[in-house]
Amino acid sequence: MSWVGRSIRRVEDPTLLRGAGMFVGDIGGAAAVRFVRSPVASGLIGAVRGPAYTIEDLDADGVGTIEAVLHRPDYVRLAQPLLARERVRYVGEPVAVVVGDTAAEAEDLAEQVELDIEPLPAAVGIDGALATGAPLVHPDESDSNVMVAGEMATPGLAEALDRAHAVVDLEIVSGRQAALPLEARGSHAVTERFGGRTTLHASIQAPHMVRTVICDLLGMPEADLRVVAPDVGGAFGQKLPLAREDAIVVWLSRRLGRPVAWIEDRNENLMASWHSREQRYRLRAGFDAEAHLESLQADVVANVGAWPCYPITWGVEPLMALAELPGPYTLEHYGVRSRGVATHTCPMSPYRGVSRPAITLALERLMDVAAPRLGLDPVEIRRRNLQSDFPHTSPTGLRHDEGTYREAMELAVRHVDLGAFRSRQHAARSAGGPQPGIGICTFSERTGYGTPAFAARAMGVTPGYENVELSMDPSGYVTARIGASPHGQGLETALSQIVADEVGTDPGRVRVVASDTDRTPYGWGSFASRAMVLAGGATYLAAQQLATQLGSVAAEVLEAAADDIVLADGRATVAGTSVGVDIADLARIAHHHTQRLPAGAMPGLAVQAGYDPAGTFSNACHVAEVDVDPDTGGVSVRRFVVVEDAGRLINPMIVDGQIRGGVVQGIANALLEEIVYDEDGNILTTSLMDYLPPTVAEIPDIEILHLETLSDATVTGAKGVGEGGTIGAPAAVLNAVNDALAHLGVELNEMPATPERVREAVRTATGTPAG
Amino acid sequence: MKPARFAYAAPDSLEGVLDVLDRFGDEAKVLSGGQSLVPMMNFRLARPEVIVDIGRVGGLDGMSVVNGSLTVGARVIHARLEAPVAAMADGRTEPLGGVLGSLLPEVARFVGHLPIRARGTFGGSIAHADPAAEWCILARTLDAEMVALRRGGERVIAAADFFETVFTTALEPEELLAAVRLPILGDDWRAGFCEFSRRAGDFAVVAAMTAVRLDRATGAISEARIGVGGVAGVPVRLPAAEATLVGEVPGAGLHAAAAEVAAGEVDPSGDLHGSAAYRRDLVRAMVARALAQGAGAPG
Repeated sequence: MSWVGRSIRRVEDPTLLRGAGMFVGDIGGAAAVRFVRSPVASGLIGAVRGPAYTIEDLDADGVGTIEAVLHRPDYVRLAQPLLARERVRYVGEPVAVVVGDTAAEAEDLAEQVELDIEPLPAAVGIDGALATGAPLVHPDESDSNVMVAGEMATPGLAEALDRAHAVVDLEIVSGRQAALPLEARGSHAVTERFGGRTTLHASIQAPHMVRTVICDLLGMPEADLRVVAPDVGGAFGQKLPLAREDAIVVWLSRRLGRPVAWIEDRNENLMASWHSREQRYRLRAGFDAEAHLESLQADVVANVGAWPCYPITWGVEPLMALAELPGPYTLEHYGVRSRGVATHTCPMSPYRGVSRPAITLALERLMDVAAPRLGLDPVEIRRRNLQSDFPHTSPTGLRHDEGTYREAMELAVRHVDLGAFRSRQHAARSAGGPQPGIGICTFSERTGYGTPAFAARAMGVTPGYENVELSMDPSGYVTARIGASPHGQGLETALSQIVADEVGTDPGRVRVVASDTDRTPYGWGSFASRAMVLAGGATYLAAQQLATQLGSVAAEVLEAAADDIVLADGRATVAGTSVGVDIADLARIAHHHTQRLPAGAMPGLAVQAGYDPAGTFSNACHVAEVDVDPDTGGVSVRRFVVVEDAGRLINPMIVDGQIRGGVVQGIANALLEEIVYDEDGNILTTSLMDYLPPTVAEIPDIEILHLETLSDATVTGAKGVGEGGTIGAPAAVLNAVNDALAHLGVELNEMPATPERVREAVRTATGTPAG
Repeated sequence: MKPARFAYAAPDSLEGVLDVLDRFGDEAKVLSGGQSLVPMMNFRLARPEVIVDIGRVGGLDGMSVVNGSLTVGARVIHARLEAPVAAMADGRTEPLGGVLGSLLPEVARFVGHLPIRARGTFGGSIAHADPAAEWCILARTLDAEMVALRRGGERVIAAADFFETVFTTALEPEELLAAVRLPILGDDWRAGFCEFSRRAGDFAVVAAMTAVRLDRATGAISEARIGVGGVAGVPVRLPAAEATLVGEVPGAGLHAAAAEVAAGEVDPSGDLHGSAAYRRDLVRAMVARALAQGAGAPG
């Protein structure tokens, strides 16, 4: 029986559940680093007085600047110093840094630092930053706040819109969200007294990349820096880019010759760690008489904050929107302008789903708004437009491998029993009180892409491939050293299942080593729903090679043909016979009795494989049922159904966990979480009193059904699934809120749909005066 | 997110606490459950020189019924009000019945989350004086009496005088809130409480408590109280809306009319969780629902 496809328990959990995990904050023994951050959104720095290091100290040591590059003519290239130089550009920007013996003392020291900053007007929201005469975020490098601007149109778009049977205009607004990992960021650096080698432990997603860029900044050989991501308490993209703070921690440990640690607190994390998602979509869509979406013109603006993130750059949100907006539909004519606009706000990094929650919201609201105008219900309009011939090539040239776009929706609709829901809804409308609504969201999700996709974005650094080193020790246990950097997803467990099947052992005899640059091959870490496809694919290829090595040893020992050797259940047997040998014995022979190996064979059992695929599309349908209180605007999510097709499921339980976590973040995006700035650029949501993640009371049970279309674009048949939950949930919930209030004429296209916004929409629709 | 330096005192007697307060005055702050004070200290929004922990003082955590009032000791945790048990005049200890006995659990379940209710205290909430806190609304609506002790003295402060503005009460720096007296409502009273918050356990955006007394002969309302939180620096009573109710028989039409007056009577300011106009809207909905709940009808 195969291990792949079974919901075995996660090897990661016993440690974590017993509180025995080792996070950066658990290491200890270090002086406390605290950053002195800008209290204003924009201003010129005069004097900095007090017991602090500033950009002058970094400059004196020759520390370099961060350059996140896209090779595009429309991209504004910047050199970002590790501490603010001359100007501050957002509330929370690090200006100076202090070191104290304890965290409390470091905070005392930080209070003693006086910043003379002459405040300047700030550009805060999208409209403010685009306005004529807007305050410029980088006045020396650009005479506008548009930092990246992609544009494309297929031939015939204008004509297609002209001849459309129905044209639908729609504006969608996605609020600013923070990834809010349970563990905020942090780093701990120790420099050896002799030899001068530094070890950085940091709460990050991509240790090898972080090592490279910190060494570039500090002018040191990579061999002299070891970067380890110990247990990481959630990341979701917020820990993918280089943190300036982490580089400074390494610099301080080398300069001071003492261990130093920076443990970000929640207040800093909300104010000064990366944000995401603040976007606006203006769509004009043309439908033919049969309700086929024929043409789509889009204007997308993403507020990308004050600085780009390295190495992804601040092109990631707008350019993903440009490339992936056509979504799961068979759209022919497509035109788009997508801009990234700098503002005096916290910089952005890609957060689980990146632009796709907003892309999907835009498309799925479009379908629901168009449906009644075309005399259809939300199911039928999607049925007519979802892709069903695969592979499908999108107007932007993306290849969709085979999926179940329609089947997933049909299954979801059957599962929720839409007819019964409509009867309940009808009754509630005459009874008054809370109004039930149902919302459907269908989407495809581009996942598991390697270097080609990143290269197509013209990134100055092109991440992508993954490497795996696999070896079997003399006891017959397998060690996989991976370049990916799992942090709670369960990748160690899933990889052990893949290895176990290929080499005929069980997952308990497989160890996965990750997240330590001294012990793993170069790789790109865990992000972009890629680890299972890429690290899983490389592991699968390496495990096949290891099986071949074992097979040749077994063939020699059993005096059989290598092709006849079957590896299963811990034994190598000759096919069709009971003649066999324990794999553990083969491992011992391969290391300790090499005279028994075939002539010319290398001793030991060790292989290496890399994998760099073009990518695959998973797909899903989410359905949300909500109750909306028209008098308060309060929304309760009553039921949530996911039909997901993630290709081959290596461990279904782990996949379900990924989906559930994502759906919770998506519901948060739809209803609760929003980073808010005032018009001067002061951030108002700096604690969990004001930034509102859902509690268990706000989340219903999440029902999950699977379809399993094996991908021909990946060696394991698996597709990525890490982000899907966050992508589909917002649109499902917003469609449900709109459905609940449809009889009042409500149309609400902004998320989060806070109670006040819902109530305002009800008032507007019903002509009730404010107050 | 680490507090500034402070001195810590944990006297084991009431006298000891009052001595520290007397000596340090407004440099000292009383620590009970710490559910509000400690976060404020971590944010360095509160920087007391001296913390006086009353956790070792006996006698502040009792509940008893005396002369038609329920006396709630300052250190009674919120969780105990989910199923209040009190010492009666005859010395027996029994579950609190009646209208107040039903109302307290109905309100208590809105106070924070279970861990907060297991540590935070009734007196701490009253003394902290968050204008949207459930117990402050209850105290104001029911005209509770606050018992304040100082070295060598005691005084009783009416709820109407107690709450001055946001996080500010009539307590002097030398005084300790020792207990709160709540009137036991007779069986001719009908009370309701309704709250709207963003998430389970959050402070209310707007919450309303209503208590009406019915004339046994006519069924008409002879006395009415409406208290609302989240619309001003303190929980407020709404006399005009209360007056609308008096002399009338409860019913959906009357409740709606009173709620309309209530919405016009408040003068909220807006913040992140709700604009002034939205809070006014919520007052309308919450008051109507609290009245309906009191009358035993669905909102």
